[in-house]
Amino acid sequence: MNLVQLFLAVVMFGSLFSVLTLSLNLQYARGGMINFGTVAYFAAGAYAYAIVTQEPPSGLDQYLVGLHGPWWAGFLAAGVASMAFAVLTGWPTLRLRGEYLALTTFAFAEMLHSLLVNERRIGNGTVGLANVERPDPGSLGLPDAWAYAGAAFLLMLATALVFRRLLASPYGRAIDAVRDDETAAEAIGKDIARLRFEVFVISAVPIGFAGALYAMITTLVSPDLFTAEVTFFVWIALVLGGERTILGAVLGTMALVGFQELVRAFPFESVRAAEIAAAGEDIVTGILFILILRWQPFEAMVKRRAAA
Amino acid sequence: MTLLAQYALTGVVTGCFLILATIGFSLTRQVEGFLNIAHAEMLGVSAFITWGLNAVAGWPFLPSAAVAVVATAFLGLAIGRVVYDPMRRLGPAVLLITSVGVAYVMAGVMHAIIGTGIRSLDMPLATSYKAFGLRITDYQMVVVALAAATGISLALFLNRTKTGLAIRAMSSNPELAASRGIDVRQTSRATWLIASGLAGLAGVMLALIATLSTDIAFNQILQILAVAILAGLGSLYSVIAAGLIVGIAMDMSVYWIPAGYRPLIAFLVVILALLVRPQGLSGKARS
Repeated sequence: MNLVQLFLAVVMFGSLFSVLTLSLNLQYARGGMINFGTVAYFAAGAYAYAIVTQEPPSGLDQYLVGLHGPWWAGFLAAGVASMAFAVLTGWPTLRLRGEYLALTTFAFAEMLHSLLVNERRIGNGTVGLANVERPDPGSLGLPDAWAYAGAAFLLMLATALVFRRLLASPYGRAIDAVRDDETAAEAIGKDIARLRFEVFVISAVPIGFAGALYAMITTLVSPDLFTAEVTFFVWIALVLGGERTILGAVLGTMALVGFQELVRAFPFESVRAAEIAAAGEDIVTGILFILILRWQPFEAMVKRRAAA
Repeated sequence: MTLLAQYALTGVVTGCFLILATIGFSLTRQVEGFLNIAHAEMLGVSAFITWGLNAVAGWPFLPSAAVAVVATAFLGLAIGRVVYDPMRRLGPAVLLITSVGVAYVMAGVMHAIIGTGIRSLDMPLATSYKAFGLRITDYQMVVVALAAATGISLALFLNRTKTGLAIRAMSSNPELAASRGIDVRQTSRATWLIASGLAGLAGVMLALIATLSTDIAFNQILQILAVAILAGLGSLYSVIAAGLIVGIAMDMSVYWIPAGYRPLIAFLVVILALLVRPQGLSGKARS
């Protein structure tokens, strides 16, 4: 793998997962909600895109619905599906707080995963949907990898801008108020339950879009791609970048993706060596994660800057 | 009907295993105040130490199991002291996320040492016994007996011994406990030892009744979480009821729907329970 490919992979997957990190940032750092089921909204988007654009089932296919729609319809459907899943899961769970919320969202994600594995009529079960349709950027005169890296980057930029605009508005200050002191926020007439629910649902939409883009890039959706590891990955990226800043969330994700791609770019002589490298990747990621949480260098940096 | 009863019986065994696996998790939650996601990895560590001593080094089962439990207990203590203790002031949410990092490291280490693939212990095959048309193997009976023995001895320990009472005091009100002269650090260390030792015991059981692979721990955390939420994070005795409910519900569901849905059933029970009783079975108000 040469440097250009590495760079493209980092921009593509880094931007894509940054969308997830940004949404998580909105939910956790601003909304005070711990969502441990991020992957579910991502999966909902990817599957919605695949189902809308897929040709009707034929041969050995076990899925029931393939609408063979245009890509933009699939993309919109992905946002809607993710939002719908957020409404469905947010409604009963958002009255729970802290770790109870973390556990229930985690549970919902696992339920969706188990449903995708077992219910073959949705997307062929464990086999997944292969050859997902995607727009051909050749007509624009761009190679595929460049075009999709660009698309991911644009999606990230759009998400960051919308969230920034939202949070800078009076609405954003109301969200902060709810996080910092619910009683006080309620006393000045903010509907806490409603605000929390809205933040939860709004932040799910870009995750769904990211899911659709992910399906286009990999041209495959299968339950294996959407395990709890994605959730943990995004959490690690968020912590790595330091909470509460948009730039931090993006940089953290890019750094983590870059690190992973570097490890993967190494050629390995044997399966065992690759296995050890993969394990080493987990170990280093885990240790980094613990060290950053332990000493919180980014928080300290922000404080120092504020003091100066 | 016999088949349904058979599933229920298997469910009891699953439930007993889940009780063993969850009690340590709940104990940590109460005394240390956070959800330790890495708890499931402790089960894996213990299971693989047992496997390493038994199948690779050729030791008999019992000494391998004993070494595994003790080693896991001390590993848990070490992690608690080195990683979590200095971070306690940062609050339960940060500790919860940190434990994900710990789980990553532990899973990575196990993966690097053991590699992928399926293993099993060097043990005679389970003997099946039949009564009233129901089958149960001797290993399954060991799990049930051990869960019962653990439950009773833990209850005795928490109610009769000084350390046990200190643990209960710490779990209901840490500040008050400290101001009444309980040695907080020593109690916390005892808790880590006991909770990890229990994880070790559950890990040995896992090695006994299941085939082992390195991702086994992660599959367990889902069920442990389900039982822990259902029990409510505040009580040990409700873990017993919750473990049995989840175990029986999961295994009996196989009678009507495909077995792949078992984990889904576990969480369905939990979500239903949370909607009706947001504080879990114990019904204690959360502080």
